[in-house]
Amino acid sequence: MRAVHGHTQHQVSRRGFLAGVGATAGMAAAASVGLSGCGASSSKNTLTIAVNGTQSAATAISQATGPAFKQAHPGIDLNFMAINGTDWNDYFTKILTLIVSGNPPDLTSVATEGLQLFAAKGIAEPLNSYVMSDKASLQGFFSDVHPVLIESMMYQGDLYVLPTDFNAGNMFFSTELLDKAGASYPGDNWTKDDFYDMAQKWARASDAVAWDWVVRLWGSWTSWMYANNANLLSEGRWPGGSWMWDTFYQNDPAAQGRQGGWHWGAPTANDPAVVDALQYMIDLRNQRLSAAPDVGGGGTLQGLFASDHIAMTIGGGFWAGGLHTAGMAPDQYDVQYFPAWSVQKHLLGDAGYAMLKSSNKKEIAWEFMKSLTEPAALGALITGNTSTPTRRSMMTASRYAPTGPVHWPVFYGTLDKFPNTTPIPAPPYYQQLATAFNARTTQAMYSGSAKSALDGLQGDLEAFASTSST
Amino acid sequence: MALALGRPKASANLKRRRETRFAWLLILPTVLFVGVFTAAPIVGSFILSFFSYSVISPARWVGLANYRALLHDSNAQHAFVVTFILTAGIVIAQVVVGLGLAVAVQRRMNWARSIFRSAFFVPLLVSGASISIVFSYIFDPVFGVVNYYLHLLGLPQVPWLNSSWGALLTIIIVVTWQQLGFTFIVFSAALGAVPKELIEAARTDGAGGWRIFRKITVPMISPSILFTVTVGVISALQLFDQPYVLTSGGPGYSTETVVLDMYQQAFQNLRFGYASSISVILFIVVLIATYLQFRISRKWVFYS
Repeated sequence: MRAVHGHTQHQVSRRGFLAGVGATAGMAAAASVGLSGCGASSSKNTLTIAVNGTQSAATAISQATGPAFKQAHPGIDLNFMAINGTDWNDYFTKILTLIVSGNPPDLTSVATEGLQLFAAKGIAEPLNSYVMSDKASLQGFFSDVHPVLIESMMYQGDLYVLPTDFNAGNMFFSTELLDKAGASYPGDNWTKDDFYDMAQKWARASDAVAWDWVVRLWGSWTSWMYANNANLLSEGRWPGGSWMWDTFYQNDPAAQGRQGGWHWGAPTANDPAVVDALQYMIDLRNQRLSAAPDVGGGGTLQGLFASDHIAMTIGGGFWAGGLHTAGMAPDQYDVQYFPAWSVQKHLLGDAGYAMLKSSNKKEIAWEFMKSLTEPAALGALITGNTSTPTRRSMMTASRYAPTGPVHWPVFYGTLDKFPNTTPIPAPPYYQQLATAFNARTTQAMYSGSAKSALDGLQGDLEAFASTSST
Repeated sequence: MALALGRPKASANLKRRRETRFAWLLILPTVLFVGVFTAAPIVGSFILSFFSYSVISPARWVGLANYRALLHDSNAQHAFVVTFILTAGIVIAQVVVGLGLAVAVQRRMNWARSIFRSAFFVPLLVSGASISIVFSYIFDPVFGVVNYYLHLLGLPQVPWLNSSWGALLTIIIVVTWQQLGFTFIVFSAALGAVPKELIEAARTDGAGGWRIFRKITVPMISPSILFTVTVGVISALQLFDQPYVLTSGGPGYSTETVVLDMYQQAFQNLRFGYASSISVILFIVVLIATYLQFRISRKWVFYS
């Protein structure tokens, strides 16, 4: 009886299991049909936009820009896909992974760092024809945006992004530590020597580190390299672009001489002026005027600055929002142009959205890109001064009253006052460049020899440039 | 009579076939999972290693070019050296510290063994990336807690993350700390299984603690040592999270591991074929390392 009972149990269990497997498989198949059907129908009317940031940031952008766009374009859904990269390099890696996996978005946020990468690889769609067909409605936007911000979004004469925000590399101070050191706010045309004097005063007056920075292309020792009138790659311009300058910037003196985007040429990473800039960082560290820098996005640096552990650092307009969020009052910090070395020259990076060539909703994607040029949408996009709007008219005292800094006009003033302001060197092989740059910078800081590290970087860049098709 | 004998036999065969089919059905999900997510990518990676593939352009057959390039790639070779150094450091630290803690707890605090087991195991449940972020603050050369206390004690500050040896040491410490729970549990179980009468007999014969440990305990737990070493080597050869988050492979390329190099080649330099050739070589290295360990273990592992 026990055997029979056991046998019966065994049979029932197996049948039950098989029935369960069958039912589960059937339900899974049905669900997958349903889901795929749902995906197909929704994807037809859904514009997918990849955003560099957290999901909460993407949701905020969605809430800020979505309703107005949906009202103007009923039946179109916006899907904001948050991609949280530690820096732009990390973000582009994730976007490329999405493309590899066959799930490319229709639009992606892109910065100067990745513009030429996306353009040269044929991932991004040129916007020339879209812009020219909508030139009447875009006239207001272009007349409000400095031409350097447009040119840095061009590649080989084509425009790829309508820039929404930018950041030029300025110098940030802790005003509390400034007072403590008995130093005064520097003048517009201050120099490297003035900077050094201030750093020494800080070192004497407090335990704070006088100066700190982050290992990455933007906001790094590269600002000193620019101030020393040098660069990692030779600076040039692609021909073309007259369609843009003749149409929208005919009477703007700041547009004179502009062409079809920056052409990053032969590597010059071990040029003596570049070596001097990096060696200066090593010397400051050796004199205990600077900390050993972190690699990465700058979150740690911002936290240390906000807690008065650092007196001076390079930062852009996005620091206003970051420091405010970190608890700094508007008058607890301030900003000034970057000091002059052999010249007073700033680096910059700007950002916006690029349309992917693979998108089958290009017209709708263009409409969305255009909608972001409106001040209301742009204001919502850069709420809390998390970056600097490209539209000059949006740079107002009321905008910076809640966050500071007091000298907020420095942000846009950098573009106006210094016509030599130049984007960071981001050729199509940017990702390789950024990785090698980080490695060689940390090597220099560890070994104490900028020359040998930059000789290595020169070799790296020559190899990358030779294998890059453009 | 023949029929009477034949029926039970046929019935038994039928039952066996059913049970075999049922057994196959039970292992099918695992087989499918391993096939789709492990075996297929291995085969795919091997095939891809003979192509030049940048995602955006179609794949192009290049034969052995990726392997030839790898032979002349000093960065990749350096990454293998770094990986071997880290592997040696991590495995030795895990075995020595894990065994030491297990022995200490068994001898002095056996009553609290389950508490220690849980405490040491918790880090294993946390992702390597999260732990690395926390340790990057702890070991920060300027603002970190460790250097702060060294300074308070009047000791020289250590360039944990911004010197070559300091960064390697930091990674070894972080990985060892995280993985310690595993070796601790394995060694605790092994120590508990060492026959007490052997130890008592040795003690009666006048053997001291260290001699008993060397001559009885270690041989008795040698299969567990082999197990932890094997698993540790396989795991350490694939190290990625900690160097990626803590040092990004720096300073310079001093902590760039093979898997980190592979990741950068594939996802940053878009050289998927070349990255695949690195992965194939790493796969072969893991196989050889495992084979050698088992081969050598015949001389020192005691299975009786």
